Amino acid sequence: MSGRVIVITSGKGGVGKTTTNANIGTALAKKGKKVVMIDTDLGLRNLDLLLGLENRIVYTIVDVVEERCKLKQALVKDKKNPNLCLLAAAQTRDKTAVTEEQLKEICEKLQKDFDFILVDCPAGIEQGFQNAVAGASEAIVVTTPEMSAIRDADRIIGLLEAKEEIKQYHLLLNRVRPNLIKSNDMMSVDEVVDILSAELIGIIPEDTGIITSTNKGEPIVNDEKSLAGQAYMNVASRILGEDVPFLNLEEDTSIMGKMKKFFSSLVGKEQK
Amino acid sequence: MEKGYVENGFIVDVSHSARMSQIIYELSAVLEMPEAKEKDVFLKLGSFEMNPTQMLSVKAMVESMGLKLGKISSTSKVTLSSANELGIETAELENVIPTIAFDNIQPEVNKELKVALDKIFGDDISTISNIHEDIDAPKEERVSQSVIEDEYSDAAAHDEINKVIEEANNARTEVDIDSVAPEIKDSITDTNYLTEEEKEKLKETEQLPTLYIQRTLRSGQSLKSEGNIVVIGDVNPGSEIIAKGDITVWGILGGIAHAGCDGNSWAKVRALKMNPIQLRIADTLARRPDTANIPYIQKTDTFIPEEAVMYRGQIYIHKLYEN
Repeated sequence: MSGRVIVITSGKGGVGKTTTNANIGTALAKKGKKVVMIDTDLGLRNLDLLLGLENRIVYTIVDVVEERCKLKQALVKDKKNPNLCLLAAAQTRDKTAVTEEQLKEICEKLQKDFDFILVDCPAGIEQGFQNAVAGASEAIVVTTPEMSAIRDADRIIGLLEAKEEIKQYHLLLNRVRPNLIKSNDMMSVDEVVDILSAELIGIIPEDTGIITSTNKGEPIVNDEKSLAGQAYMNVASRILGEDVPFLNLEEDTSIMGKMKKFFSSLVGKEQK
Repeated sequence: MEKGYVENGFIVDVSHSARMSQIIYELSAVLEMPEAKEKDVFLKLGSFEMNPTQMLSVKAMVESMGLKLGKISSTSKVTLSSANELGIETAELENVIPTIAFDNIQPEVNKELKVALDKIFGDDISTISNIHEDIDAPKEERVSQSVIEDEYSDAAAHDEINKVIEEANNARTEVDIDSVAPEIKDSITDTNYLTEEEKEKLKETEQLPTLYIQRTLRSGQSLKSEGNIVVIGDVNPGSEIIAKGDITVWGILGGIAHAGCDGNSWAKVRALKMNPIQLRIADTLARRPDTANIPYIQKTDTFIPEEAVMYRGQIYIHKLYEN
């Protein structure tokens, strides 16, 4: 078995790399794949919090690299899904504690036992980014429909294209607010895709549920009613090669919208 | 490029540079700053391989600008050996709070502190002897329940460690502060059953020197000591305290605390508010229960000092003081 190594990156901070990582990982594991997530944000780790695994971490990636423990010992199993594992980052060290070669080696070892290795990349394009990208062959670039995030994503895509190891990359558009797009206050999905000219793998709507799920330490994909959760589930399906249509976010859920839809359907019937 | 500050000098981080010219360029830019004069330079080189000749030129450049090349950190063996050749100190520049060495400090200092702690926790230290070895339970059983790192070198180790953590967790949830059964509480705090030898061990940490620190420990900071540690301030989640002896936190303990890190299972952890992510005493580990919604730090008006001790191979928390 040779697993796919996917790095999740963005350049800009706060666009939802770690949230995306936790949710895609959980979604893939729910679909029966063996998934391991590697947090490479040494010194500013967060992935363990989002998964609610903070209290289970005994060894970190730095302990593996410095040979204080075996790789298998450092893998923390998820509370609910036995298919899901986390290799946590060290909180008390900085990005120089791990080198590109070491991370590559870890990815190669994990490829034997797992279907997917998701690497959570730190913000920025310095050593941390170089480390995270080292072992990966695919990338998901997370961005939001804002100029600053898009410019940083563009820079990241440029850097990814320069790397021979990265065979393919996809764009994930996060925190989309259909209402703002409608009123021309936010860039539309098409505009963003046009600017970045990259293939889209998912559109995630802004969801206040993300905040509660982060605080609870439970990824939002576990909540089947949530729109963002469904969107992340669809991203996982697309990663597995399934052809899933994008969610219709434009749907107007207000009473007026529903009435309009009802009347237009009546009109439609009469015309037939 | 990052700069950090250390005592009488500063850190220059050029670890992302892949070429010698880039390092020289970035370094010279920093050294030209007026505030850099007459200070020590701590150079972070990352994985860059620097031969002795290159390092000599870096050293010459630093010295020609009136500064001193203090320490060098690097992950490359070539760089470290060339630093050794030139007599430049190598060190890992970590986010560790500098602590004093204890060689010259007499244990008498410690007694004063114990008296001070008496007052803090409202109890006579000589009678707070909180654990006793159960007579019926053979000692081997206690050892077998503990996590001993060296034993876990095989592939099945991970599962086994998880099992032990699970057990430790059960222990923690079982003895939730309000629900400690009176009989257990009594046996934890009763010293009458201890043998003379065990009573000696109980007092072992009293002989150790104590590091007294008055500040808030923040995420990513780690505090290590050969003796006991007293922190006046909060210990936030993400930070860690590791001591050979006891750990006392005059504030909220939210991070990781490891008492008795060299195997002293009689070491204790005390705090005004216990909310640690993990508690470790000697080789045993207990983790915070996975309750759905634990606040990041439980800010509260009511502080009830609590103490964590090891009893029969498990970690228990009990109140030191009750209204």
